[in-house]
Amino acid sequence: MATENPNADGFGEVSRVRGIAFEYLSFGASVFGLVALGVLLVYVAIDAFDLANASPEWLLTYFLTLVVPFIVFCLYSANDRDVTRRALVALGGGLVAVAVLFSAIEALLVPIPRLNWQLAYLFVVAAPVTAYLAYVGSGGRVGAVGFGLLGRLVGGAALGLAVGTLFLVFDSLVWFLAYTLGVLPAVGLYAFGRVRESPRARTAATPVGLVGLTAAVFLRDVIATYPSDLIIYLWTIAVPVAAAGALLVADRRGRVAAAAVGGVPLAAATAGGFLAAGAGLPAPTVLLAIALTGVPTAVYVSRVVDGGEGLAGLGLPLLLAAGAIAGALIVEALGVPAPNPWLDASFLSEAPSRTPSEAGLYPAIVGSVIIIAMVAVLSFALGVGTSVFLEEYTPGTGPLGTLTRILQVNIANLAAVPSVVYGLLGLGLFANLLGLGIGTAVTAALTLSLLILPITIISAQEAIRSVPDDLRRGSDAMGATRWQTTKNVVLPEAMPGILTGTILALGRAIGETAPLIMIGAATTVFRAPDSLFSRFSAMPMQIYTWAGFPQADFRYGVVAAGVITLLIILVGMNGTAILLRNRAERGS
Amino acid sequence: MSNSTTDDSLITTEVQTDSNDGREAPAAGTAVAARDLDVFYGDEQAIDDVTMEIPEKRVTALIGPSGCGKSTFLRCINRMNDMIEICRVEGDVEFGGKNVYDPDVDPVALRRKIGMVFQKPNPFPKSIRDNVAYGLKIQDFDGDVDQRVEESLKGAALWDEVKDQLDSSGLELSGGQQQRLCIARAIAPDPEVILMDEPTSALDPVAASKIEDLIDDLAEEYTVIIVTHNMQQAARISDRTAVFLTGGELVEYDDTAKIFEDPEEQRVEDYITGKFG
Ligand SMILES: Nc1ncnc2c1ncn2[C@@H]1O[C@H](COP(=O)(O)OP(=O)(O)OP(=O)(O)O)[C@@H](O)[C@H]1O
Ligand SMILES: [Mg+2]
Repeated sequence: MATENPNADGFGEVSRVRGIAFEYLSFGASVFGLVALGVLLVYVAIDAFDLANASPEWLLTYFLTLVVPFIVFCLYSANDRDVTRRALVALGGGLVAVAVLFSAIEALLVPIPRLNWQLAYLFVVAAPVTAYLAYVGSGGRVGAVGFGLLGRLVGGAALGLAVGTLFLVFDSLVWFLAYTLGVLPAVGLYAFGRVRESPRARTAATPVGLVGLTAAVFLRDVIATYPSDLIIYLWTIAVPVAAAGALLVADRRGRVAAAAVGGVPLAAATAGGFLAAGAGLPAPTVLLAIALTGVPTAVYVSRVVDGGEGLAGLGLPLLLAAGAIAGALIVEALGVPAPNPWLDASFLSEAPSRTPSEAGLYPAIVGSVIIIAMVAVLSFALGVGTSVFLEEYTPGTGPLGTLTRILQVNIANLAAVPSVVYGLLGLGLFANLLGLGIGTAVTAALTLSLLILPITIISAQEAIRSVPDDLRRGSDAMGATRWQTTKNVVLPEAMPGILTGTILALGRAIGETAPLIMIGAATTVFRAPDSLFSRFSAMPMQIYTWAGFPQADFRYGVVAAGVITLLIILVGMNGTAILLRNRAERGS
Repeated sequence: MSNSTTDDSLITTEVQTDSNDGREAPAAGTAVAARDLDVFYGDEQAIDDVTMEIPEKRVTALIGPSGCGKSTFLRCINRMNDMIEICRVEGDVEFGGKNVYDPDVDPVALRRKIGMVFQKPNPFPKSIRDNVAYGLKIQDFDGDVDQRVEESLKGAALWDEVKDQLDSSGLELSGGQQQRLCIARAIAPDPEVILMDEPTSALDPVAASKIEDLIDDLAEEYTVIIVTHNMQQAARISDRTAVFLTGGELVEYDDTAKIFEDPEEQRVEDYITGKFG
């Protein structure tokens, strides 16, 4: 019978050799690519942080004060015996395996440059295991709280720095007027309309805001005296952010909690701002960083306390800070030789220099941040606008349909045009014809926007096309105009896809060098740009320049530090954008 | 089988009679009328010279084999055919005494007076409340939105099931609930006519029968025009039935009881008994 011996009556066998060969080949190829990239990054990191000179004692100290507590935290959060056991086996077994293998290779085959077995252990075992445990730990409530808090602290500080940077070039006085005359009244009217159920107030909000914005532009030069920058940022950013935070909390926890959540960070930010001004630090940036870190943190802490779950997680930032301080103290006390990293605070905050040890990336970072912000806004607005027009508004047939198709094909082709050509276009069009200036930040932003526009358009079109037609028909049948359907149904549904495309495209724009060279961007500038029309440099340009310097310290140490900075900023930006996108996805 | 006798009752008509007894005469006014209506997709004709008057506050069923132009006819009434580029309409469709194809008619404004429910439930990926309030929002409705949402959900017999989860997504409902949500969405702006294109064909019998009951109630207030492939359903819920046959021809249009018990046309009888189509 068939059930007794299924092979006996010969179903035969179907060969799967090709499928299996294909599977392993592609798997091997991707693993090879990833490993190559990983090795490169490891070496870049070793150079940037001077880890080759880190003594084993130094590594051990920080391993014990920082990494071990973090791992314990993650294991505690995961609260899973299996995971704990496997982690210990991996860490312990890995130690032996790496040490033996490494020594064997060095002794029998070739010496491995700039690495010792402790570093190999750090990169091959400790780092991946820690990352994995962080992932597992974030699944537990305690871990989620800890990482949530950490994310708000780091994200808020980064956002504060970025906003502060933007105000280096954008006119804070116009913003002050625009906020006071346009944004604030409009938001106020809208909120009033919501609360009082008055549609008239709500519809009035937009025109009032627009009038205020226009007035701001005209009044900018008419008004003679302005408050100091510190007061402006306090009034236009810190106060509204604190108010928004307080409102978020007020619903659930009442007035006292709301006042605390808004008030405490606001007071801290104000104090920090004035103290920084006294100490000669960039006061507005300090104020913004404290406000934008403090308010989200306070809101988050209040929520967590309210929920009453995973409170222990709130200790994670403290744990890490204490670990870092303890490590530093121990290293100091024992007199352990410490590495001298290229990538340190002064590298991030100082101008380039002829001596490698004093070289800094600050002006280029500012240039890149400003350009990327403009490119993000421009390419998103233009990309979404164009794709909505192409997908929703143009007919598929007739002469206009043919025209659309031609346009379509050309956009696809534009995506394949080399970036040097876009640089040339930017030079001719923006720098010369429109007179925006050679090598200025606006020219660069416009050129890079143009460069990634085809990618944004195509991906946005793809996202819009994937919105089911059923939804459009449903909205149309309700008597919605084309615009209402697009705005209320199509765009919200397509937004995650549109954002994905824009994020990818921005990642490309931030690393571009060739078009910047073509439009005459400076290879090195010594002061951060202070207007949209000042000369600027960008991170990739500066790194490229350093790579051509004769001193080895530039070519290895400083370049590596620059690359790591560029990567961290890029990953941070993309990560934030992806988080926001996932939120949008879950929200809909 | 013999195909001439009129007494081999094609469909049990008991159900039909007892569900419609509330709405017998007096004769109602005309809500929608088609006059010499031809519709073409490119060169192909989908509706062939249809003339019919659809009474106010009644349920009118459109039946016929697949591809005979029922959906096309329905879409002529609220001009959803305008969205199909190759579609061309000739003749008149009167709604409220006005030809909707007159050049001065704004199709968007027209659609605000005519609700539509599709074969596949298509709630928006928004909260239940926002789904129902959608028509109000786009028309800048001035009154109490929450109250209107509640009334519409009650009108669609969905209120009791969702009143505690108005803020959760409309997509989290079951298929039958989603379809009732779409009905609530269609009646929220208080239209005069509701068009339904096979609203129960994607649903199980229990959910379908809920919707059938609902349609019966809706006819108290609205003119309902419904396309269905289900003969029993047409017989149960409609007052008037129009039979379209291939080529977009309106073969017979009469009181539902007459169509199902004693149709004039042999072809209609063949279709209803399942010999054709
Ligand atoms: N968008 C369209 N483009 C071209 N031809 C169409 C289109 N929609 C319908 N048709 C044609 O018009 C005719 C009638 O179609 P319609 O969808 O109105 O039929 P129906 O009676 O609703 O069928 P079913 O019961 O299967 O839904 C068919 O021959 C169909 O091929
Ligand atoms: Mg149909």
